[in-house]
This record gives sequence, structure tokens and C-alpha cells, in this order.
Amino acid sequence: MKSGYASFLMLFCLHRFNGERSLSAIYHLFSGKKSSQTLQDSKWFQLERFFGTWKEATLNDIEALAEQLLENGLISPVQNRSYVLTEEGRRQFNEQMRQAFFPVHLNGWRYHASEKWFWYRLSLLVQTLSNVLHRTRFEPIHRHEETFIWVKQYLLSQRKMARELAQTLYEEIYDILSSVSEEEATVFTLRLTSFERIGWTNEQIASLLQKDPVYVHFQFQNVLHYMMATAEAKQPSVLYELMHDLSLPIPLTFSTRKTYEWLLRGKSIEEIAKLRRLKRSTIEDHVVEIAANIPQFSIWPFVSEKKAEKIMETVRKLRTRKLKVIRDAIADDVSYFEIRLVLAKEGKMW
Amino acid sequence: MVTLEQLLREKFGYDSFRKGQREIIEDILRGYDVLAMLPTGGGKSLCYQLPAYVLKGSVLIISPLVSLMEDQVQQLRQRGEKRVIAFNSFLETEVKRKAIERLHEFRFIYVSPEMLQSERLLHALMNIRISLFVVDEAHCISQWGYDFRPDFLKLGEIRKHLGSPTCLALTATAPPEVTDDIVHILQLQPLRRHIHSVDRPNIAIKVEKTEFIHEKINKLFDYVKMLQGPGLVYFSSRQWAETTARQLQREGIERVAYYHGGMDSEQRMLVQQQFLRGQLDIVCCTSAFGMGVNKENIRFVIHFHMPGQMEAYLQEIGRAGRDGKRSIAILLYTNGDEDMVQSLMETELPTDAQVKRLCESLLLYGAAPDSLEQQMSACSLTDVQKRILMYFLETEGIASSPRPLTEQEVAALYEKLIEKIESRRRWKRKKLLEMVKWIFHHSCRRELIVRAFQQSLEKKPDLCCDRCGFPLDGYLRVETEKKEFHFHGWQAELKRIFF
Ligand SMILES: Nc1ncnc2c1ncn2[C@@H]1O[C@H](COP(=O)(O)OP(=O)(O)OP(=O)(O)O)[C@@H](O)[C@H]1O
Ligand SMILES: [Mg+2]
Ligand SMILES: [Zn+2]
Repeated sequence: MKSGYASFLMLFCLHRFNGERSLSAIYHLFSGKKSSQTLQDSKWFQLERFFGTWKEATLNDIEALAEQLLENGLISPVQNRSYVLTEEGRRQFNEQMRQAFFPVHLNGWRYHASEKWFWYRLSLLVQTLSNVLHRTRFEPIHRHEETFIWVKQYLLSQRKMARELAQTLYEEIYDILSSVSEEEATVFTLRLTSFERIGWTNEQIASLLQKDPVYVHFQFQNVLHYMMATAEAKQPSVLYELMHDLSLPIPLTFSTRKTYEWLLRGKSIEEIAKLRRLKRSTIEDHVVEIAANIPQFSIWPFVSEKKAEKIMETVRKLRTRKLKVIRDAIADDVSYFEIRLVLAKEGKMW
Repeated sequence: MVTLEQLLREKFGYDSFRKGQREIIEDILRGYDVLAMLPTGGGKSLCYQLPAYVLKGSVLIISPLVSLMEDQVQQLRQRGEKRVIAFNSFLETEVKRKAIERLHEFRFIYVSPEMLQSERLLHALMNIRISLFVVDEAHCISQWGYDFRPDFLKLGEIRKHLGSPTCLALTATAPPEVTDDIVHILQLQPLRRHIHSVDRPNIAIKVEKTEFIHEKINKLFDYVKMLQGPGLVYFSSRQWAETTARQLQREGIERVAYYHGGMDSEQRMLVQQQFLRGQLDIVCCTSAFGMGVNKENIRFVIHFHMPGQMEAYLQEIGRAGRDGKRSIAILLYTNGDEDMVQSLMETELPTDAQVKRLCESLLLYGAAPDSLEQQMSACSLTDVQKRILMYFLETEGIASSPRPLTEQEVAALYEKLIEKIESRRRWKRKKLLEMVKWIFHHSCRRELIVRAFQQSLEKKPDLCCDRCGFPLDGYLRVETEKKEFHFHGWQAELKRIFF
């Protein structure tokens, strides 16, 4: 089945969103859109791992997938472009969760911006070493000037011989691939380019393994993120050197970062709105985004502990994240801003 | 003094010039502006690469496609040329910043036209000595040219800013009205024209008609199995390219892949490299795989869908036989194909409703340059649509006026835009009709092709076209032993990569 794995991922997201977000939220999640809404969503619904991990997906793809799930009776619409799993959908989903591959190492939240460059460097380094050792001429597999120059300088700065460096790198990759599944190790190895073989596309690997390309894509991402996490934990290593200067930024939108800077300087929401000539509600959005992303950020200047307690109580009782439902249930005067802030800070689902 | 032949041998490793190259180079060295039309694969790049080793200063090359530019840079580097740089995205990195500071050190500077809007880069270019101003694929400059790029229109101005260095305009496919536009816009003067035949005598041409689509699909399968590769198959849509590639695989033809603009750049690069290295025999592609792609031994090009115009057809079959050896181009036609091409072409033009929305938006927000882009996006215009509308707005003098527009102005603008779009539509239909006529033509196809460029055929090759008649024998697959790849598990493969 062509779209098998993508359907599974769709079910996963729809299950987590529980009818409270539309399809475009899923699209934004996969493509890694840096808006306050998407960033918060991925936290609230615990989908951080998928943030920015499938950038090729288009809104059309997502809609077509939903259409298919709908036709097969696995999901049903609740409101404008949101869906929940049907009885049958739940059954199939649970079954797949038990059997299907799940990208446990995937950490889009942390690596979405750096993974591509890490991979570019790694694969170009491997290609270069492979060709140097076999004394063959080659064309770099990436037409990316910065990567090209980085790898060149990296090689020039080495005190090791090419053979020695290759040995070390080989061992590091070997160790990592040994601790993932055979299939994942195969996917990753075939994506690499050597002196005699240009790396395979996801599609080609999929047809060798008789899987679908999306499945292969996520297997690859899973290994890549595992590799990056391992490298971060085990220093020094060649793999870590490949990533140490890549920034792993806190995912805040540009505008929010500005607001954050003002907050740190002690300005109030009102003052910042004036200073930046933005609407108060915009600044509130920023504050919510900050609360969701910066663990040490305190929300107490903006909401009283008593109110927060009440909000959480209601959330737990009603098992919902719908702002309106929550607000209606709390008779007292709480604002949407306060509710969102508490939800953002609490992060976890319930 | 070294002769040109010596340089040719020393820097490029070739023994002799190809037709036209020497004369073009000599005229450049004499300081003439040159308009050069050489057939696809005729060796146009050499016409500026060689003078770069004679002239003092840097050669600036403007090229429309990022991938094309990168390929050229790569080829030069492969030859050991280090002093080459390409600017093709606004991403200002450390590397680019440094390069701009020492721009004069580069012998070859490749730039995409939109990058020339960068003040910093333009400024830096003004401060160095540009010995030659090259416009590759120069037909993109004319609105009557294949793959028109409004960005190219500013090149005339830019050249002036740079002190009007000697200019070389290169194209393979430009009928006279287009070459006239090129000369006019770039203000080539004093000018030498080097117009050579567009004909590619080593490519035999065949058109085959079927009544139904499934017959056509079967024909394609037959040819792909029968013909000597490597080969390209052109489709008008991504969807078709993908599905057919998969079908071919199911038919047992293993080394097939697809290539189109919707793939991410790494996967695209992998397919291109695999094809260049002989790891793939066949690529099912859209027009995204084309202009400038230089693999010397492509033996056949099949068109599963007809292109919308003759120039595109010529560009695409021009990928074949660049080593000068016998190759074949086959166009498969099914009744009604032109309707599909036409509807695809229509979608490239903005609809009345879109124009209306844009005009309403302009009335509200004015046409300041930065907001214009946003407004266009809000009208859900595609990139191609944006490009053409932007051009029309510019010719109407609207594009950069920050002042608000009156209701009358906008109403008049709307009429104007609709009229221009309509005339563009008529032109496209005319070009398509020319293509259809060619398909149904009864005498020599080669003659009709060159006539479309207002040339006449000097000499008809023996293996000419289906109208003149030629046997397929020479194009059939001779079983050659293939380097089969055997996968023995990841451990073995990983070891093999390194040791
Ligand atoms: N004098 C020569 N002798 C041998 N090979 C040559 C010579 N000049 C050019 N070539 C080779 O011919 C091939 C085609 O050259 P090039 O890419 O410049 O073609 P082109 O005219 O730009 O074609 P297109 O219109 O398709 O871009 C290249 O591989 C190039 O190295
Ligand atoms: Mg060329
Ligand atoms: Zn003929």
C-alpha cells in the first residue's frame, strides 16, 4: 500500500489532536512552521517529535490522506476540517501501534533545523573519504557551497590520516547502526554515497524493502536523530564534530523572541505592545508561546495561582483543551489568555 | 604568445574547436558584442570559458536556472579551476560575504538574475573589472522566447551600470523575433551575429500516432525495452512521470527513476547523479530536467506528451547524442493530446477572477514593491502566474509606485491586464498549433523544424525522420553487460564504502 505509513501517522496525529485542530495544524506540524500556534500545539498535544520532520508533505497530501481515511471509515468529521477516530479507526490504530515501527528516537523539536546540515556534512564526508581511499575522482553529492567548504576545512584541519579518520568514523557509524533495527541500518547505509555507488533515493530503498517511501523516510529520520542525540551525549567523536557548531535554537518565532527580550528587561505586556506598536493580543500570543517553550519562564506575573489551580482542575475534569468549554465551565472571571497560559505551561496532555 | 588551440588543449583537453566556437571567441577577443546561436550541445559554454583565460578581469555569467549554474560550476572545478563562485540565493552566509569582499579574485562569477537585485552584490561588481558579460540561455530575455523570465529584462540596464563590458548572448533556440529582442534589450553594439543551424543531424526524429492512450502506454513500454539506453522520457505532469516510472519497474525494467520539480533537492540530485554515473538507464521526467543537462551518451529521448512549442521540443531532444553519436527522438501522440497541453498552458495564465482580486487589492493597499508580492500571494497566484503579472504591471509602470491608485486607474489597469493576458493566450495557442501542424506534417520533419527558425536545411542526414524513412535497427539495444549491484546486508556495504 502506497500511503500506508503516512496513514498511520495521520491517525496518530488525529488521535492526539482529538478533533480539536484542523488538518492544516497537521500540515504545519510536519512542515515545521514556526508560528506560535504550531509550536504550542506540538507541545500541548505531545507531538513535538514530529515537528518539522516531513517537510515535503503538502497540504494537498494531508487532505488526500484524510479523504482516504474518511472513505475507509476510520475517521469522522467533527467540525470544519477536524476529525476524530471512529470505533474502527481506533481499533486499527491500536493494532498498528502494537505492530508498526514507531520512530522513538525522532526529535523534531530539537533537530528540525539542524538535521539537514548534519546529514549533508556527514554524507559528503563519507563520500569524500570513500573516494580518497579508493583513489577515485568524484562529484560532490550535494551542491551546497557551505557544506562543501565546511567539509574541506574539516579535512584540512585534521591531524589524522584519511585512513585513520575513516576507521574512526566507520566505527562510530557501525556502533550506532548496530543498535537500531536491521531495516533501519539498511536504509541508512543505502542513503550514503560511496566511491562506487550514488546514494539511493527513499523511493528506491522502498522498492528494495517492499515498503512505502514515507516509511523509509521516517526510518531514516529516526536513525539520523538517534545519531545526533548519541553524538551529543558522547563527546568527543567525529559525529559530534559534525554538529557542534550547528545551532540548536529554542524554537521561538522571531517576533516572540523580541517580546521575550523586553519581558526580561521588566516591561509589562501593555508597555511592550506600545513599544512595538503591536496589538495587546499579539503580545499575549507571544507570552503564551514563551511559556510553552521556556521551562524557567514563570507565568505567575500574568495569572494568579488560585486561578491556575481552578483552570487545571477543570481541564482534568472535562478532559478537553477547548478554550471556550473551559471558560464556560469556570463561572469566575478568567480570560482566554489566562487559560492558554496555564495550558501552555502545563504542557502535558491531562 | 599561446594560440587558442594551445589553450584549448591545455585548459580543456580538446583537440579542435567545434563548429563556430573559434569565430565566436575571436570576435569576443576583438571586443565585439556577440550573439551566438549554436545548437544544443554545440559547446556554447566554451565560448566564454576559454576567453576567460585570455582576458584580464572576471567573466560574469548570468544563467536562469540554479541547477544549471551549479552544474557548470562543478564542471569547472572538476577541471581544476578554483577561482569560480556562484551567487544564487539571498541567503547571506559567511562564505558569500567573504567572497563579495574579494570578488576580483574570481575568474568566473555566476549569478542568477534575481541576485542582481542585491545592492551589495551589484555594488561589488561595479568595483571590479568585468571583462565579459555573458547571458546564457538568452532567449529567456524575450517575452516571445521559450521560458520567458522577466528578471532578464533588467540585464540591459545592469550591463550599463557595470560600464557596458563586452557582451556575449548565448542560445540554442531563438527564432528571429527573439534574437531581435535579445539584441535590443541587451543593446548589443557593435554586434557580430553567429547564427548556426538549430539542426542536430545525429538525432533521428520519429513521430508515432495512436488512437487511444493505452496503445500509447504499450508503445512506450515497447520502446523502452527495445531501444539502447540511456534514455529520457518526457511527461507533461509530475503525476504521469511518477506513475509511469513505477509501471516500468513493474514491467521488469529496473533501473528507472523519475525526476520532477516537486521532489526535494537531495532526492533530485541523487537521481541526476545516478543517471550521469550510469547507475540508472532511464529517467521519467518533466521539463524540469532539461536545459543545460549535459550527459554525453543519452541515446534516446521519448516524448510521452508533446511540449507546448517547438523551442521546448528542440531543447528537450537536445539532451540526446551530445557525444555526436547516433541517437533518436520519438514523439508519441494520441488524439486529443493537444487539448491537455492547452489546458495546462491555460493554468499558467492568471484567471480573470484572480486579476480582479489583485486589482481590488491594489486599490486598497497601493503597489509598493514589498506589499505587491504579498498581495499576489493572497490572490493565490502560482509563481509562474506571478512572474507574468509582475511583468505586465512593470510595463504599465505600476509595479513600484508607492502612491495609492485611483479607482479609474485601477479600472483601466484591469482592462489592460485582461487584454495582455488574452494576447499571451493567443500567442501560446499559436505556438501550440505550430507544434500540432508539425506532428501532422507530411514531408520532412527536420526541414519544418529549421523553417520554424527561418533557416533552411543545408544537408539532410541519411537517418533523418519518419517521413523520409529510416530503419530502427541502429537504435536497438545490444545487450551489454551491466554492472549489477548486489546488496549483501548493511554491514558488508558499510565496510565496502570505507575499505
Ligand atoms: N571543442 C570541443 N571539443 C570537444 N568537446 C567539446 C568541445 N566544446 C564543448 N565540448 C563538450 O560538449 C558538451 C556540450 O557543451 P555545452 O554544455 O557547452 O553545450 P551547450 O551548447 O551549452 O548546450 P545547451 O544548449 O544544451 O546548453 C560538453 O560536454 C563540452 O565539454
Ligand atoms: Mg548550455
Ligand atoms: Zn526528414
